[in-house]
Amino acid sequence: MRLERIREFFRRFYRYRSLRVTTEGVRFLLLTLAIGMAALNTGNNLLYLLLAMMLSLIVMSGILSEQCLRHLVIRRVIPDNVFANSPATVTLTVANRHPRLPSFSLRVLDIVDGKAVDRGIHILHLPAGASVSQSYPVLYTRRGRHRIEGVKIQTRFPFGLFIKAANLFLSSDLVVYPALRLLPESLVHDLTVLGHDQAVSKRGPGSGLYNLREYRHGDDSRTIHWKTTARQSRLIVRETETEDLRQVTLALPTAVPSGRAPECFEQAVSLTASLAVHFQRQGFASRLLVGEQEVPHGTGEPHLHRMLHELALCEPGPVRQSETATPDGFRTLADRTTHGELTIVVLPWPDPVIEAACRGVSRLVPAWETP
Amino acid sequence: MTLDRAFHFSSLLLAAVAFTGLVLTGEIPAGLVMLGLAALTVTIARAIGWGGERLVGRIAGLPASAWTVLLVAVFVSFGIDLMLISRDILPAAVHFLILLMVVKLFHLQHRKDFLQLYAISLSELLAAAALTVDLWYAGVFIAYIFAAIWTLILYHLRTESEEVHTGPAPIARPVTRQFFWTTNGIAVGSFCLTLVIFFLIPRIGAGFFQKSRTELIRTSGFSEKVDLGVIGAVKLDPTVVMRIEFPDVRGPVTDALYFRGAAYDTYDGRSWGNRSATRRTLERTADGAFLVSTPQAAAAAESGGLRQEILIEALDTTVLFGASFVESIKGGFQIVQVDGVGGLYLPYPTSARFQYSVRSIPDRLREPDRTAESVSYPDLVTKRFLQLPDVSPRVGALAREVVGAARAPYERALAVERHLRQNYQYSLDVGTSVSASPVEDFLFTRKTGYCEHYATAMVVMLRTLGIPARLVTGFLPGVWNDFGNYYSVRQQDAHAWVEVYFPGSGWVTFDPTPNVPAAAPSFFSRAGKVVDSIRLKWDRYVVQYSFRDQMAAASSLREGGEKVRTEVSGLLSALTRGLASVKAWLTESARAYGGFLLGCLAVGALVVGAVLVWCRRGGGTQSADPRTARQVAAIHLYERMLRILESQGLLKPPGATPLEFARQVARERGEAAPYVGPLTGLYCRVRFGQAPFSPDDDRQAQALLAGLQAARRSAQAGLSLTG
Repeated sequence: MRLERIREFFRRFYRYRSLRVTTEGVRFLLLTLAIGMAALNTGNNLLYLLLAMMLSLIVMSGILSEQCLRHLVIRRVIPDNVFANSPATVTLTVANRHPRLPSFSLRVLDIVDGKAVDRGIHILHLPAGASVSQSYPVLYTRRGRHRIEGVKIQTRFPFGLFIKAANLFLSSDLVVYPALRLLPESLVHDLTVLGHDQAVSKRGPGSGLYNLREYRHGDDSRTIHWKTTARQSRLIVRETETEDLRQVTLALPTAVPSGRAPECFEQAVSLTASLAVHFQRQGFASRLLVGEQEVPHGTGEPHLHRMLHELALCEPGPVRQSETATPDGFRTLADRTTHGELTIVVLPWPDPVIEAACRGVSRLVPAWETP
Repeated sequence: MTLDRAFHFSSLLLAAVAFTGLVLTGEIPAGLVMLGLAALTVTIARAIGWGGERLVGRIAGLPASAWTVLLVAVFVSFGIDLMLISRDILPAAVHFLILLMVVKLFHLQHRKDFLQLYAISLSELLAAAALTVDLWYAGVFIAYIFAAIWTLILYHLRTESEEVHTGPAPIARPVTRQFFWTTNGIAVGSFCLTLVIFFLIPRIGAGFFQKSRTELIRTSGFSEKVDLGVIGAVKLDPTVVMRIEFPDVRGPVTDALYFRGAAYDTYDGRSWGNRSATRRTLERTADGAFLVSTPQAAAAAESGGLRQEILIEALDTTVLFGASFVESIKGGFQIVQVDGVGGLYLPYPTSARFQYSVRSIPDRLREPDRTAESVSYPDLVTKRFLQLPDVSPRVGALAREVVGAARAPYERALAVERHLRQNYQYSLDVGTSVSASPVEDFLFTRKTGYCEHYATAMVVMLRTLGIPARLVTGFLPGVWNDFGNYYSVRQQDAHAWVEVYFPGSGWVTFDPTPNVPAAAPSFFSRAGKVVDSIRLKWDRYVVQYSFRDQMAAASSLREGGEKVRTEVSGLLSALTRGLASVKAWLTESARAYGGFLLGCLAVGALVVGAVLVWCRRGGGTQSADPRTARQVAAIHLYERMLRILESQGLLKPPGATPLEFARQVARERGEAAPYVGPLTGLYCRVRFGQAPFSPDDDRQAQALLAGLQAARRSAQAGLSLTG
């Protein structure tokens, strides 16, 4: 029972602390061993004195390194939007909460998948009560959910004989959005034309230009178009086109047809995300269909992030067993198109069933053909 | 001074301290001392900016091939030294280390060069430890610890600065006051820790390959044959030969003390010898002591004896000293021998100073011997201790004249002792001419001499009167050191005296040498006592520290613990007795004045209760804590929540507000969010919004905390299952 308790203590201790000997430390230990042997052989107390000095340096090393690692508070700030294959900056703030003693030679490492990843953060001197922030770039090559499990702080202070590390639980979860790509010009052109074709112009609140007309009493003075006013020497106001009708649905099927490998799925996800960003910038109200999942129409940054979040987490679905198993959202796309909505289906792979179901949509974009 | 410059300086200082240690052993040839000194002076002067750049730069600028040649030359010189000059590994290695240090001092370029210099300095300190045990080593050792701590810390900072190339290098900053004191504090801490570890390391050293290099102190007067006058040669030598403590006596011993060494029974007119020189080995008792059988042993029970702890230097004699007369002796030796006249010997001289304990029974003259006129001595005694050389009848006539009408041997011995003390002059200046009959010369011609002359004259005079006597050599107690509470015995305290035989009492000590007035204590003699006291402690607690001492310390600790336990238990039993008597008194009083006592108790309880309530409400004064009770309750609840979260690894950063922290919890521990959010809201409302904290709020908060606990437990259970 007592043995179990001792074991438990050490297990808990080593969960938070670890110790490694440096090259200099190995030499120092060997030298200590040699002096110890000499003292034992000769019985010379002055050699015992030297042995005690060497051992005291080892003990002091442990005490001081522990002192360096205690009272440290660490905070990590991760940017809200992280895209795959695009560097993001993470900031770590290390604060020394000890009222009197400084900390030296600190190295801060992230723990990812149980392994320590060196981000190159070295803090040589952190005075008592002070804090320091250091940033480092991170690059995720894969979209989806990622987790930084904790932080490992190392120090070799005071003599460089040992590397003592403290493991802190500072977990951060983040969702990496799909990589954005440059859309081919031809596709952008086609989409613009399609957008105009599909749009039903109507005056209303929005950002696109609907008409220029002469100022009438009661008009909002902020709508005056000053360039035209100057040119025509009369007050002209700018009327905007309502955005209600500038709607787009982006659809990405995830079910893999039988006998086909999902090789172009990532390309399709990336293309869909890029289209979502494109239409958001164009002021469209966007809707996203990813397999069975749907993000309803919406505008603005938060809505875009909802769509990107969905795309970040989507996975190719199981192989479709029956021909009729097409999601409902895909079957109604053609109807939406006839009502003036732009509907775009990004195909990750040739899929006759989906193509048949989506006959009549504004555009089918085969990902494998898009450069 | 910048840290970088301090690093160079401390590295060189480390080498200098170790080199000083070697030099102080006195084993280094003058040429090497000068070479090392010059190299250290130039490089240190350059490190602290006092010049020498050109010279050091020129030497350091030598091509790599030149350095290689130099190093090869150093190795070759080591071989030659070992084979032809020193012919011993230790001196040759020491010379080699110094040459290597000199080369390295001018070639400190890379990190490894500094590391090699540190290794050389440590080796030098090791070599010094093998060559000496003197007190100065303590000073060198302390200086080395300080220099080593500075050097290692600065070396580490420099290495880190080189590896991290961001921002201004801390090594280029000046040494701040805080850094200075912090580093010295670390050094002091290391030193204290060193002492603790030193005393705790078990001494299981066997000393298999130990080779002593201590020079033996030459003594006179303790060999098998002693020429008259040899002690005079050492009477001006201040070398300390032993230090004696009396564990059972506080302050100096008031009785006359004679530390007996050798005794002699035969005088040939010029020198003393011993016909009973055959030694026998003493038997060892179970506790490791050697018992000396003496006639005085019988008196041991009466007098109790005098215990002495003697730390003796490495002498060139095998004689073991102890206050007259030694009853038992105990030390780290396996064999002790005794000769026919009570002299104690080791089988061979020791090569290092050592310590032993002696228990002595002082001589005591029995009353019958004091007055007995007709005495019959055993044949063995008369045969050996009445021997006389061919002396002039004048000596016998003088003896008879001195004793006059005294008939008892004791009275006669006292008369001769008194005569010699009063009528002869003590002087070490007795000329260099060798006399044919030194005793007659002393008694009738010169009438001056020192202890040997006095003692020899007394022995000869007593023997002419038919009283058995013998000459004893040894030491007087020397000077009492009141800083260390011990006698410091020097060569100049060597002495000779007389032992006279009485049939009922055995051998009794007589000293015919007059007392020499001691010199008045000066500042230097007092300072010398302090240094000598420190030296004794160094020898006792560092150089001579042994497994026996560790056992003694452990047993005294145990005894101390038992004593404390006994005292505590005594205190508790006294307390119990006190309480029992109070109870008995109360019972007795209750019987006599029941109603009155009950009333008093009730009033007392009321007063105490009122005081407690008053204190709880702030004692009628303005409370130092401006927070309201409900705020305090909310704070307690919030703190409980923080503790629960902390046990889950979620520590609230000091800079985060409660709401920020609640958001962090929601991000990182979604399962805790339903409890943390409302609790934080309640806390903020009560603490900062002055909202009321109703019993319903309290119940709700308790329920939330319970939920949080449950969530934590289920999360842990999940973890352990997955783990």
